[in-house]
Amino acid sequence: MRFHQFILKNVFQRKARSALTMLGVGIAVMAVVALVGIADGFERSFRELYERRGVDLLVVRAGSSEHLSSSVPQQVGKQIGKLPGVRAVSPGLMDVVSFEQANLTSVLLQGWTADSFLFDNLTILDGRRLRADDDAGVMLGTILARNLGKHAGEKLEIANGSFEIVGIYESFNPLENGSAVMLISSLQILMDRPNQVTGFQVVLDDAPDKRASIERVRHDINALRSPQGRPWGIAATPTRDYVRGTSQIRMAEAMAWMTSIIALIIGIVGVLNTMIMSVFERTREIGILRAIGWRKSRVVRLILYESLLLSVVGAVAGIGSAVLLTYALTWWPMVNGLIRGDVAPAVMIQGFFIALAVGLLGGAYPAYRGAHLLPTEALRHE
Amino acid sequence: MNETPLLRAERLGKVYPDGQVNALVEVTLSIRCGEYVALMGASGSGKSTLLNLLGALDRPTSGEVYFDNRPLSQIDDPDGFRSKKIGFVFQSFFLLPTLTALENVQIPMFEGSLGARQRAAKAADLLDLVGMKDRAGHRPGHLSVGQRQRVAVARALANDPVLLLADEPTGNLDSHSAAAVLDLFDHLHRDKGMTIVLVTHGQEVAERAERIVRLRDGRICADERRLAQAARQAAATS
Repeated sequence: MRFHQFILKNVFQRKARSALTMLGVGIAVMAVVALVGIADGFERSFRELYERRGVDLLVVRAGSSEHLSSSVPQQVGKQIGKLPGVRAVSPGLMDVVSFEQANLTSVLLQGWTADSFLFDNLTILDGRRLRADDDAGVMLGTILARNLGKHAGEKLEIANGSFEIVGIYESFNPLENGSAVMLISSLQILMDRPNQVTGFQVVLDDAPDKRASIERVRHDINALRSPQGRPWGIAATPTRDYVRGTSQIRMAEAMAWMTSIIALIIGIVGVLNTMIMSVFERTREIGILRAIGWRKSRVVRLILYESLLLSVVGAVAGIGSAVLLTYALTWWPMVNGLIRGDVAPAVMIQGFFIALAVGLLGGAYPAYRGAHLLPTEALRHE
Repeated sequence: MNETPLLRAERLGKVYPDGQVNALVEVTLSIRCGEYVALMGASGSGKSTLLNLLGALDRPTSGEVYFDNRPLSQIDDPDGFRSKKIGFVFQSFFLLPTLTALENVQIPMFEGSLGARQRAAKAADLLDLVGMKDRAGHRPGHLSVGQRQRVAVARALANDPVLLLADEPTGNLDSHSAAAVLDLFDHLHRDKGMTIVLVTHGQEVAERAERIVRLRDGRICADERRLAQAARQAAATS
């Protein structure tokens, strides 16, 4: 018999208690991986929206970490477009609307110009692309169309305005598949934000030193002034930094971690409870091991390895459940593209190491207690 | 018999803090290498306490135990010392219920240097020695009490100890099983030269030993050296 076989026997011959502990750890790990995975997926989706289109800089109102509340005069776009090194600029207006009848409460509505390069990455599945004269036209992403049960050619009420669905598109991005696109001029009228945009997506020319090029154009954009010579009060930010600083993502991450920490504490208490009960139940057994010459360090290893084994099995089950849960959630209409169906491997690895930490923390005190039992007292234990 | 003392207890005292019980008072005792000693006394006389102190399972309140002239209090690794030098047999066997007889015997060997196969082979040999080879794959719950105690003896011998300490090893056994276990002790003593210290309150059990040390109220009240059993048998038949 090997030492690890002894550990396996100890764990798997106390079936009910071991299963309950694994379940506790599994649920904690599932909560961590699912919540952090969803927040991480949200960030990746958001970043992907810009990076896959080659957007180098995002220009919004300076100091605005809240994406939707940013408001910049549309005319700034023309100035940006004339700057050296800038290949393309696309203004964008964003807002959030709800479709109560379909139980959809936060649907992203985007306004683009008809000639925007942003359309290039959309595959039209039904109908056609928006044209410059589609003032009352709208395109729906596949997820939104499915959730609303709508097809091209049908009418759709959006914020008390009536629109014709000119096309259904599929984007590379689930967030965009859950949103709708109309002309920016139409959205400005609908939301009563004349000549205002949320910001600009800027693509730069290819350059040998892209980083330096980004930095230079960024500086030029920030220095732009109105015809009256006043600063526009805008800030150009590299895509990755912008996404990271977005308040919704920061909040989602903070919420995910806060919830995860609660789940983890529950997991640690579960393992601690099981292991301390196990040590208590096995006081005499530990006394025998100590009496026949097992060193304290081996008793510590025995209890810690048992605790780690419970945590690892719980972690594997928890990670698997989190992956399934995250995928299943994408089919829930209310999610509407906000959740990606995949969990990043880094988040799974993170969950695994968190489970190891849970096992170590939950097993540490019981291991210490077990190792320091006096053999003679332990043997007298009934 | 080797005249060198293997164990020497000097002015040994033990006070249990709960209730201030003087379990041992000024006990001085010397046990030679290869000797077979029975510690006798009524319940509470201090015999198990003395056995625990001799086996480095507990520390005395006063006095010192010397093993091979080495004070136990100065041994850096008492667990390792116990593992290598001493085998324990308990009244309640204390086998691990989830393990087979073969696995139980291997448990003390984890602190040694043997590999898994060597451990299993040695455990099988030891079970053979105690007449339990055919029950190697059985868990304690499927063994009779006598068989369990024989497995416990095999476990005590796992690391080739020089000293075997047995606390009421026949206390839970019927007379037939008790005789089998005591025969095993005789064999270990006679043929393997093992030093055995056995605690009992049964006169018949104690008479198997060549020396009987009697305790009363934590003190040695009698120390009787006897003829070895073989010599006694020879004397009886002549």
